[in-house]
Amino acid sequence: MKIPRLIRNSFLMMGRYKLRTSFMMLGSLVGIAALTFVLSVGQLAQQKILEMVGRVFSDSTIVIHAGGGMMMGGPRGAATRLTADDIQAVAKEVPGVADWDTQQSVTLPVRRGDATDNAQILGESERWQRVWNRTATRGDYFDETAVRASARVAVIGETVAQELFGNDDPIGADIQIGSAPFKVIGILEPWGTDPHGMDEDNVVVVPVTTLMRRLSNLDKIGMAKLLINDPGQAEQMKVQIAEVLRQRHALSTGQPDDFSILTATEVHRVIGEIQRVIFLYLPLVAAVSLVVGGIVSASLMLSSINDRIGEIGLRRAVGAHSADIRLQFLLETATTIVVGGLVGIAVGYAVAEIAANRMHLGTANPWLATALGIAASSVVGLLAGVFPAIRAARLEPAEALR
Amino acid sequence: MIELQKVAKIYRRPANDEVPALVDVSLHIGRGEFVAIVGESGSGKSTLMNIIGLLDVPTQGRYRLAGVDVTEFNPNDQANMRNRKIGFIFQAFHLLPRTTALENVELPLLYSNRKSISGLARKALEAVHLADRLQHRPSELSGGQQQRVAIARALVNEPDLLLADEPTGNLDRRSAMEIISIFQSLNRDGRTIVLVTHDQEVARYTSRIVRLEHGRIVADETVEESKVAFAQEAQ
Repeated sequence: MKIPRLIRNSFLMMGRYKLRTSFMMLGSLVGIAALTFVLSVGQLAQQKILEMVGRVFSDSTIVIHAGGGMMMGGPRGAATRLTADDIQAVAKEVPGVADWDTQQSVTLPVRRGDATDNAQILGESERWQRVWNRTATRGDYFDETAVRASARVAVIGETVAQELFGNDDPIGADIQIGSAPFKVIGILEPWGTDPHGMDEDNVVVVPVTTLMRRLSNLDKIGMAKLLINDPGQAEQMKVQIAEVLRQRHALSTGQPDDFSILTATEVHRVIGEIQRVIFLYLPLVAAVSLVVGGIVSASLMLSSINDRIGEIGLRRAVGAHSADIRLQFLLETATTIVVGGLVGIAVGYAVAEIAANRMHLGTANPWLATALGIAASSVVGLLAGVFPAIRAARLEPAEALR
Repeated sequence: MIELQKVAKIYRRPANDEVPALVDVSLHIGRGEFVAIVGESGSGKSTLMNIIGLLDVPTQGRYRLAGVDVTEFNPNDQANMRNRKIGFIFQAFHLLPRTTALENVELPLLYSNRKSISGLARKALEAVHLADRLQHRPSELSGGQQQRVAIARALVNEPDLLLADEPTGNLDRRSAMEIISIFQSLNRDGRTIVLVTHDQEVARYTSRIVRLEHGRIVADETVEESKVAFAQEAQ
């Protein structure tokens, strides 16, 4: 009988002190909104990263980069010594290689009439479609003959097509890459933006031999992607590949590799690292703001107790047990914080949606963030409420009435 | 109604010296009496009122309230007893701000074990002629009206004892008389009222005056006796 009345009265009192209640709510609102935002966007970013990585890097993938040192990036081009012959030798000598593609890339202006677009020019083998799992959706991809003949044919991405052709049909049209004329034979399957913000559709694929002879004047490749038969063999194959390459590059013991080999294991490690940042460190930062919000709410409540000493004394005089006072103040703080948290979830999720839209990340699944938001605000609400409630309940009635 | 036997209250200060606030106070107040406890500030009348009101416990002596020995009551028992048996009226009214008259009067009902509380607060406000002020907040009421809300709050649980601490201290003369006449009429209806005041004049509207000095009862007279003593003093 008594408890529901007390709960109703607590809500009444919160409504009577709107300013204090709203400031307390604001504390948890901001914290929970930050948490929800970080979790939602983090979830989407992770999905995006996994999707992008999964597209180019399955478990049966090994990537060889020219140049030693860093796994991604690092020295390329003239300073490196990796050749298409090296990769051919690896495919022949290391058992278990199912397919491979060699790649060299440069960034050059692509022109058609007055229209210009700076695109990434990828020199690839005829096996590129299979190895990279990306096709020409319109027109054709070039074949082995074209590669052998260093044909001046190009398969262009959607962005390039838009920039140069607008509504015209690019297939069969002539374009200029750098200073060399090429014929467009196909349009690439659109891939969108990668996690670094690079437009994967602002690319032109040409035969690697053509790129070497006509555009870059280099006979080295930047990287190669191998597909292997058994993902379980990847680590062992990595060792064998390194042996073949060191031998071909005549590296003596002690000299560092002038190439780097990336297997799914490393990629998973990097993804794990990214996930740690997204799901541990970022929420931690958000949690700090939540804790600050909790402390603000708790201290607002504490200082309000000084204003309400008379009220507490009176309630005790008319029959409140100190447990009733404790319950009232705990309820007021916790409810305020949890309600602030619920609004915070909505705000955080809405902002996350807007941000995700801008970054082309898709739509967030709200359940994880919502569940965590409710849990976090409940915990903070209780913790922030306990201390003021104990303080209030400890007041002696005669003292409080003075 | 109230039986105090050799009650003493000694406050221990941090410096470890002892301040006796009440010394050897024995007092019987019967059901239906209207008693004023008077004394200068520091005479111990607030301490006595706190002990009678179960807001404080005596250091020595025994206290029986409504036939129950409450000396050893724990804080929760005291709170229940206050809720059921005692109605408090304070000098500063102690109404909750931003809260309507009706909600203020309902407050003691929140902490009672009654199954149904609807209508009781309204009835109490009607009894103090505030039926037309139910939804007013304290800031919208005059001092006298605020004190009448407080009286309604004290009455809402139908207590045996009304305990008023300087109830007219913050009021103008007219409002003070209004409050006193409400007390008198409540007393006529059989309610026991203990009124603590330093105001001799207010005390004379009761039927018995207990005078405290330095924590001791120095006089306990009916108002008729007191009037004689007052007149003699004036000469």
